[in-house]
Amino acid sequence: MPLQGTPHEVLAGLGELTRKVRAAQRGTWFPLLLLGVLMLGGILVSRFTFQVLTVPCPATAPAAGVGCTVVKQGSPLYWPIGIALAYAATAFFYIRRSRNRGVGTPVRPYILTGIALLGVVAATSFWSTRHGIPRPGEPLDFWGLHLDPSSEMTRFLERLVGNATAVGLPLLVLSWVERSRVLLLLTAVYVAIELVPLPTGWSGIPFTSPWFFLPRYAVPGVLLLLGALGFGLAELPRRRNAS
Amino acid sequence: MTDQPEQHPVTGLDDVVHQRVRLGILTVAHQARRVEFGFLRTALGLTAGNLSQHLAILEKAGLVDIEKGYEGKRARTWLSLTPAGDRALRDEVAQLKRLIHQIEHGSSTPES
Repeated sequence: MPLQGTPHEVLAGLGELTRKVRAAQRGTWFPLLLLGVLMLGGILVSRFTFQVLTVPCPATAPAAGVGCTVVKQGSPLYWPIGIALAYAATAFFYIRRSRNRGVGTPVRPYILTGIALLGVVAATSFWSTRHGIPRPGEPLDFWGLHLDPSSEMTRFLERLVGNATAVGLPLLVLSWVERSRVLLLLTAVYVAIELVPLPTGWSGIPFTSPWFFLPRYAVPGVLLLLGALGFGLAELPRRRNAS
Repeated sequence: MTDQPEQHPVTGLDDVVHQRVRLGILTVAHQARRVEFGFLRTALGLTAGNLSQHLAILEKAGLVDIEKGYEGKRARTWLSLTPAGDRALRDEVAQLKRLIHQIEHGSSTPES
């Protein structure tokens, strides 16, 4: 235990002990694995909920009065339930690990952020249940905000309040509680991928294809899984030393 | 004249906290929030008897809370810092930093 010598050496020894405890507390690979799997699961949900519908075109559209083709994909229950289960499983994992390793868990702020975000998701679902899903091209009045669906700001907000926040914000909190710069970097890359404005059909898959959402979920999903793999591999030597 | 000479940082070090093993225990407990006896023993490289002696001193000084229980048939001892223990650790680290500043710059008040 290198806690003797000059004050410099004592402080360095305290820093080393703190790092050792943090290393024992970390379990980053698990939430990354769950969120990555959840993201890839979104591909299958989009695939199996794919529907092509014909609806009356908006009055302003060139084909007004004729039927417009609308594609419906995704389940309103998948993300709220999936994210809730992911946070519950992460809390269980960290608490169990804390008992096994004999060292407290720092994960409470991550779970609290997740619960707060679920509240926001539930409130948004409640709003859309009361007001109905807006038709294409229809302006949105969301709790005092008058949003023009064609504006860049509205599109940015749509991307921001989606998975960028639901997954990115808790990861940001996790990188803070685990004091992990690598996780902070991974979170920044993840959020950047979610926020980048992509034109429809950028991947070459037409929007009428059941696989239209594949790249939208596969890219961040694979990033999260690679992160889980990297953190898991980085933890192996520590686990070997501990046993 | 009421001017008193500035106290040397060494006089601010608390003997209960400054002892190297106890300082290690407080540091681990601070970061871990709650830590088990076995983890502490391994992290600090101590025997069970030695660690128990230091824990008894810290508990008597009101710096740690010790909680004994069972998980299945296995006896486990957990400890956590009390608010006084948290303050004592912060004071100790601040005094050490002052001491370093004193050695390096000749004044005990770090500019921050």
